[in-house]
Amino acid sequence: MRWNGKTLLWALALVGFILLPQLITVKYYLHLSILALCWVIAAQGQNLIQGYTGYVSIVQAGFMGIGAYSTALMGLHYDLPVWLTILLAPCVTAVFAVLTGYPSLRVKGHYFAVVTLAFNLVIFIVLMNWHDLTQGEAGITGIPKPGGKDSWLNWRDRGTYYYFVLSIAILMTGLAALIVRSRIGQTLIAIRQNEDLVGAIGIAAWKYKLFAFVTSAMYAGLAGAIYAHYQSFINPEIFGVAQSLDAILAVIIGGSGTIAGPVIGAFFVVFLPEYLRFADSFRLILYGLVLVLATIFMPRGIVGVAGDLWAKVKGKPS
Amino acid sequence: MIEILQQIINGMAIGGVYVLIALGLTTVFGILGIAHFAHGSVSMFGGYLTFFLVVMWGLPLALAILIALVVGFLLGVLIELLAYRPVRNANHINAFIVALGLTMMVEGLNLEFFGHEQVVIPTDFSRVFNIGGVTIPELRLYVILAAALLIAAMTIFVEKTKTGQAIRAVAENRDAAILMGVNVNTIPLVVFSISTALGVCAGVMVGALFAIAPGIGEGLVVKGFAVLILGGLGSIPGAVVGGLVLGITEALAAGFISSAYKDVIAFVAMILVLLVRPQGLMGKA
Amino acid sequence: MKLTTLTAALALAGTTALAAEKTLDIGVSDALTGGAAVYGLPQANAVKMAAEEINAAGGIKVGDDTYMLNVIAYDDKANPTEASNSVRKLIDRDGVKYILGFCCSGATGAVASFIENEDAVMLVGNAAERSITTREIPNLVRTRPPADYTGAAAGTFVAQKGHKKVAVLGALDIGFYASYVDAFEKELEKAGGEIVTRESFGLKDRDMTPQLTKIRELGPDAILVVGYVEPAAFIYRQAVELGIDVPRFGFTSGSEEQFLRVATSEQMEGVWDLRPTELTLLSASDNGIAYHANYSEKYGIAPSPSSPYAYDQTYALKDAIEAAGTVDDTEAVAAALRELPVPDEVVMQYLPVDGKMFDVNGQAYTSNGAFQWQGGNWVFVQDLPSDAAAYSAFLSTID
Repeated sequence: MRWNGKTLLWALALVGFILLPQLITVKYYLHLSILALCWVIAAQGQNLIQGYTGYVSIVQAGFMGIGAYSTALMGLHYDLPVWLTILLAPCVTAVFAVLTGYPSLRVKGHYFAVVTLAFNLVIFIVLMNWHDLTQGEAGITGIPKPGGKDSWLNWRDRGTYYYFVLSIAILMTGLAALIVRSRIGQTLIAIRQNEDLVGAIGIAAWKYKLFAFVTSAMYAGLAGAIYAHYQSFINPEIFGVAQSLDAILAVIIGGSGTIAGPVIGAFFVVFLPEYLRFADSFRLILYGLVLVLATIFMPRGIVGVAGDLWAKVKGKPS
Repeated sequence: MIEILQQIINGMAIGGVYVLIALGLTTVFGILGIAHFAHGSVSMFGGYLTFFLVVMWGLPLALAILIALVVGFLLGVLIELLAYRPVRNANHINAFIVALGLTMMVEGLNLEFFGHEQVVIPTDFSRVFNIGGVTIPELRLYVILAAALLIAAMTIFVEKTKTGQAIRAVAENRDAAILMGVNVNTIPLVVFSISTALGVCAGVMVGALFAIAPGIGEGLVVKGFAVLILGGLGSIPGAVVGGLVLGITEALAAGFISSAYKDVIAFVAMILVLLVRPQGLMGKA
Repeated sequence: MKLTTLTAALALAGTTALAAEKTLDIGVSDALTGGAAVYGLPQANAVKMAAEEINAAGGIKVGDDTYMLNVIAYDDKANPTEASNSVRKLIDRDGVKYILGFCCSGATGAVASFIENEDAVMLVGNAAERSITTREIPNLVRTRPPADYTGAAAGTFVAQKGHKKVAVLGALDIGFYASYVDAFEKELEKAGGEIVTRESFGLKDRDMTPQLTKIRELGPDAILVVGYVEPAAFIYRQAVELGIDVPRFGFTSGSEEQFLRVATSEQMEGVWDLRPTELTLLSASDNGIAYHANYSEKYGIAPSPSSPYAYDQTYALKDAIEAAGTVDDTEAVAAALRELPVPDEVVMQYLPVDGKMFDVNGQAYTSNGAFQWQGGNWVFVQDLPSDAAAYSAFLSTID
C-alpha cells in the first residue's frame, strides 16, 4: 500500500510539472520555476553529501560557478557545441572536486564544513580577479542557448527551456535515487550513522566519501551550466557562499536524506523570497528564523512532516 | 628589513582581532562542540551598539563598551538557551545549520537597527609613533595591547579559577566532569558569556580601528574558523598562535606576493597545514 | 490592460480625476539593501522624487492624454540573478515598459543581456562598466559615462602635473575600476610616465597597510586610489599614518560625510578626486542646488553625488515619451531617446554629441572634473580635458 501511495504521489507530481507551463499565466513564475529546477539539480547533489553521507559542504554554489564558467568559456574559446560543453562542465567540476575533496575529507564535521567554505571563497576570489579568463565582476554575456537560431525548437521561448531543464532534473533525481539504493548509497548512509564502525569492518570510508563529494559537485556543475545557458549571463556574484547556504537550506527544508526533499526544498528556496518581499528588510531575519525553527522542530523537513501526517491519517503509528 | 618589520606590525593588529574571535569560537567549540557561526555577527552587534551609544547618546567610550558587553552577553545567553540547547543532543549537522540560521538573523538585526552604511567608532587617539622607520598609529598599538591583555586574562581565568577548571574538565571529558559534580547546564552559559565578551571586544576594536559594515562579521568568523583549523580546534594556545600566524601571513602575502590573492594564499596555507598536520599546529594528535 | 483597469478604478472611486488622466507605471531595479545600497537607494529615491515633480507639474502629455507616473521599485541587491528576477517581474507581472535605476555593473550586465528581446526600455544609471553600451542595444541608454572615458582624462591631468611614477591601489577585481586604470596608464605613458605597481583590495578590506607599506618602499611620485568610497577612505587615512606624503589622486565619488566618518579633514587635505562632474554643492548648477535642497528635505539625508544619474533618467524618459507621442510603442520611445537634446531639468552637466544627450551607442557623457579636498570640502578646481565626441567614436568601434 505504502509503495503504491508513494508511486502515485510521484506520478501526480510528474503530471503537475509537465502541465505547469500551461497553468501559469504570468510568465514571471515560469522563469522562477526554471530557476527552481536548476536548484533541484544542485540540491540533489548537496543531498548526497549532506543528507546521505552526513557531511555539510559549503561549496555547492562555488561548484555551480565552475560548471557555469567552464561551459561558457569552452563555448567561447573552442567553439564547441552547447550540448557538448554542458556535458563537459560537470567533468571539469569533478576534477576540481577531487583536488579539493581529497584534503578536506581528511577532516570531519565542522572542520570539513569550514574547509569547503574556504574553497568557495577561493573560487569566488579567483573568478573575480582572474580577469583575463573570467572577465571578472563584469561577467560573461551572450552565452548561447542550446539550439542554434535555425533549430527546430525555439530555445528563446521559456516554455521550451522549462521542459529541457525539467527532463534533466527528472533524470538527475532518478540517478540520485539509483545511487542511494545501490550498495554505495547504503555505505554512505552507514557512514553518516557511524563512520568509525564502517572503518572498523574494513571498508575504506574515504573512497565512498570522495565519491559522494565528487558526485555532488558534478550535480552542481551541471546545474550551473544549465543556469548559465538559461540566463545567458554569469558573473561571480551568483556563486558566492550565500548561494551555497541556499543549497543547504533547500535540503534541510525539503527533507534531508530523502529523494523528494531537495525537489520541494529547491522550489521553497526560490519562491520563499518572493513571498517574503512584503517585509523586504526583515527578509534576512525571517529567512534565518525559518531555518532555525525548521531545524529544531522539523529536523526531517517537509517530507518528514508530510510522512508523519500521512501515517496519522492512515492510523498507523509513525 | 624595515619593510618586513612594518608588515609584521601591520599584520599584528588584524591578527589580534582574529585571535579574539578565534578564542570565542574555540571555547564554545571545545566545550559544547558547536561551530558558533553567528559569533562574528554577534561581535559586530557589540561594535555597532558601542558606536550607537557613543555617537547617538554621547556616552563615554568605556561606559558604552561596558553596556555593549552586558547586552552582548544577554544576546549570547539567549542564543544558547533558545537555539543551541534544543539541538544539543541532536546530530551535529543540526547545530551547524541552526548556527547558520542565527547568523542570518543577527546580520538582519544589525542591518535593521544600524543600517547598511559603514560605521567607525570615534576615538581620540590620532598620534602616530615612528620607531626607526617603522610607523605605528597610537590606536593600532592600543588595539594590539588590549588584545594581549584579554588573551592573558582569558588564560589566567581558564588555568587558575575554579570555574575555569570546570570548563576545562567538561572540554576534556564531559561524562567524567558530570560525575565530578560539574553542573553541565550552567557551564554553557558561562562559556557563552566569555565567548561573547571576547567577541564584543573584538567588535569594538574592528569598529574603532577599521569599520563595521554588513558582511564584515561573516568574513571575520570565517577567518576565525581558519585560525581554529590552523591552530587546532579547542586549543587556546592554538588560537593565539593561529591568529597571529594568519594575520601576519596575510600582511606578508599582500606586501610581497599579491594583494589580490592574499586571502587565497592564507586559505591555501591553512589547507597545507591540514594536509601535514590534520590536528592543527598546536592540537593534540 | 493594467492602464485601463487603473483608470476605471480611479473613475469609479468618484474622484475628481479627469477622464483623460492616466497612470503610467515605471519600474526601478536597484540595490535597495546590502553593500551597494549606498549607490542604489539614493538612485531609487531620486527617481521617485523626479516622478513626483513631474506629476506635480502636470504629468507627461501624450496627445490628449496626460499620464501620471507611478514608480514600482524592486530591490536587486546588485546581484545578477536578483536583478533579472526583478526586471522579469516588472515586465511579465506588472506590465512595466520603462525600467530605470541600475547602480551596479554586474546586475546591469545581467539585465542588459536579455533586454533587447523585450518590449521595454532600460535606462542605466551609475553602473560604469564599459561593455554595457558597446553592444549598441537599441532599447538601452545610460546616463553615466564609462569609467575609462574618465580615466583617460585623469591620466592626462596627472601627467600634466609632472608625476612620472604612479602607484595604483584599487578595487581592481571590479571591471570598470580596472578599465579606468588602463585608460589612465595609456595617457600617463604618452607623457613618459609609468604605473609602478597595481595593488588590489577587496570590498570588505579595511586594513590597507600591507599594500601601502609596499607602495611606500617603491617611492612613487603620486598614488592613485580607485574604488568604492568606504574602503578608499581608509587608504587615504592609512597612507598618512604610514608617513606617505606624495600627492594622492583618486576615483571614488564619495561625499564629504562618507570620508569624514573614517578620516579627519587634515588627513584628507589635498586629496584629488578625478571623476565625472557629479553633484557637489560647490560645483553645482542651479538645478543641482535645487536638487540637493529638495532631496535633503524629502529624505532627511544629503543625496549621494551619483544619484542624479537616475534623476536625469526620469526627465530624459519624460521628454522621449512626449517626443515619440506614445507610451505603448517602446521602439519609438527608445528611438526618441537617441535623438533627444539634453532636457532642461537635468542635474548633471552633459556634453551632447551632435547636439544629442545620448550618442548612437545610447551613451551620455558628462564633463569630467578635478575636485580637491580643501578645508573639509570637495572643491571643484577645474574641468578635465575630455573629448566626448572622440570617445563616442571610439566606443562605436568596440563590440
